[in-house]
Amino acid sequence: MPTAKPSSPNVPAAIRRYGLAILSVAIAVGIAIILGHNHFRNVADPLFLFSIAISVWYEGLGPGVLAVVLSGLADSYFFIEPVYSIYVTRDDVPHFIIFILFASLLTGFAAVRRRAERDLLQSRDKLEQEVAIRTQQASLLDLTHDTIFVRDMNHVITYWNHGAQELYGWTPEQAIGKRSQQLLRTVYPAPVEQIQAELLRTGGWEGEIEKAKADGTPVVVASRWSLQRDGRENPIAILETNNDITERKRGEEEVRQLNLKLEMRTTELEAINKELEAFAYSISHDLRAPLRHIVGYAELLQKNASSILDEKSHRYMMTILESAKRMGALIDDLLAFSRIGRAEARQATVSLEQLVREVRSELGQETDQRQITWKVGPLPDLHGDRSMLKLALVNLISNAIKFTRPRPQPEIEIGCAEERKDGVVVFIRDNGVGFDMKYVNKLFGVFQRLHRTEEFEGTGIGLATVQRIIHRHGGQVWAEGFVDRGATFFFSVPHHGR
Amino acid sequence: MELVGRILLVEDDPNDTELTMTALEEYHLSNEVVVAADGAEALDYLYHRGKFQERRNGNPAVMLLDLKLPKVDGLEVLKQIKSDDNLRMIPVVVLTSSREERDMVASYKLGVNAYVVKPVDFHEFVNAIKELGVFWAIINEAPPGSIKKT
Repeated sequence: MPTAKPSSPNVPAAIRRYGLAILSVAIAVGIAIILGHNHFRNVADPLFLFSIAISVWYEGLGPGVLAVVLSGLADSYFFIEPVYSIYVTRDDVPHFIIFILFASLLTGFAAVRRRAERDLLQSRDKLEQEVAIRTQQASLLDLTHDTIFVRDMNHVITYWNHGAQELYGWTPEQAIGKRSQQLLRTVYPAPVEQIQAELLRTGGWEGEIEKAKADGTPVVVASRWSLQRDGRENPIAILETNNDITERKRGEEEVRQLNLKLEMRTTELEAINKELEAFAYSISHDLRAPLRHIVGYAELLQKNASSILDEKSHRYMMTILESAKRMGALIDDLLAFSRIGRAEARQATVSLEQLVREVRSELGQETDQRQITWKVGPLPDLHGDRSMLKLALVNLISNAIKFTRPRPQPEIEIGCAEERKDGVVVFIRDNGVGFDMKYVNKLFGVFQRLHRTEEFEGTGIGLATVQRIIHRHGGQVWAEGFVDRGATFFFSVPHHGR
Repeated sequence: MELVGRILLVEDDPNDTELTMTALEEYHLSNEVVVAADGAEALDYLYHRGKFQERRNGNPAVMLLDLKLPKVDGLEVLKQIKSDDNLRMIPVVVLTSSREERDMVASYKLGVNAYVVKPVDFHEFVNAIKELGVFWAIINEAPPGSIKKT
């Protein structure tokens, strides 16, 4: 290729190009004159055409035109009569014009051909370059573990990278040339025409697609499509990248299933709760009425028939009355217990010191006649439902009062056992009858009693109520005791209750 | 017998009725009591309908109303009374076995004048009824239009 020919750097390209034209015409003139002296005729024109051809061929149109002009001038000066003048006789004008036209034609054709050849070479170079880039890109795409493949507009696979082989198990040789939908058993999330339409409109598409591996294992992939267009905006290929999200989808599905189960359980629990509420309501209503009648009529009978009843019958009457009253107390306690579970807990900061004072004065009647030594330490503020916490304290303190009854010098101590960042631990200690640690697990159960009714009255719901209240506050209850050496009850309340 | 009826007792349980009457007897108030065995009868009495068509004019000085009643329940009776211009002034005392907060709240929202839970203990029950009877039928000045003391 002429322009690419190596040239000495100190000679400007234009001088070299046009110099060749001048030189070749001069050489043609020289040869023609020498041949003329040796009696060769009509050699000037072919020599000039040859020099023009050389100029045009090697240096292009400009030098070619210069060679034509110089050849014309030299021809008319040296070889057309009158010689040594650029004047051309009338007889020689046609000859001269034909020479010029022929020379021009030759120049034109040569220039056109030269350009075509140059274009061809250029486009070949470009192509080679592109192939090199593509090859490099393709081998780069093979380095990644991401799944990448290309298909033409008929969904025939034209490129298949290493990541695709890893995911689907097909080699490039097996995959290329196949229709992707058949090969991968693709299940689209929407009609494929719709996806195709979006792809053509926006140039891309993203979605989750189900496919199958070579061994038939189903996979879910996050798929991304990009449309490739040629220079005239015609779509020519689709590049698809896939990420295996099967595991993630499975995880999501598991979470969804678990949530569904949880929802079902919640609904069930709500239904059970409602049932319990209805149950408690009917206990409250329907069980108390007959009880009231038993007590009422027994008392009326006792009153009206007291003169004719013997001592034994009196005792029977008393037993009926006491049992009925005891059942009334049981029902009331049980209802209060069930209400703790159902009632909304109102959160507030509660002064434990004040609460203990209130409870002590309310229980005062019972303690006034007894010389109880109270040791109440500094008490923290609690976070929780005031009325519930008070009920818990009433139960714990009245227990302490009750179980110290046989003591000549009863002592009750209330204090803060531990004050941590996340909550407090409060204790209530007495020097009462205590309990055997082997029954400690029974202590907080509903209707669980460690003493006979004749010794200590009670329904066996008090500590169960305490436990329920403290659990609702996110805390714990526990106890320590020895037979005849007192008992200590602990409860913890976190600062931010549930 | 003419139905005097300064106290309207709405109670479906004959045992409760009898115990209530026994309690009121001590202040000789039992002969002033008219008993309606359900909500519908209570409304019949107030509107002079059915078996109360011929009764003496005037409203009771107090109405002791159970909540759990056959046919028309206590809350419904209360609602009708409190939305009737001629009846809304009658003092209504709910007398019930229910300690449920929602019943109490519903009753007060409908404008009840008092809410009393029937005690299981007979002495307490008798005392509660006596005090109610004495207060509403004797001490309290009944609103205009009520049946006068005999």
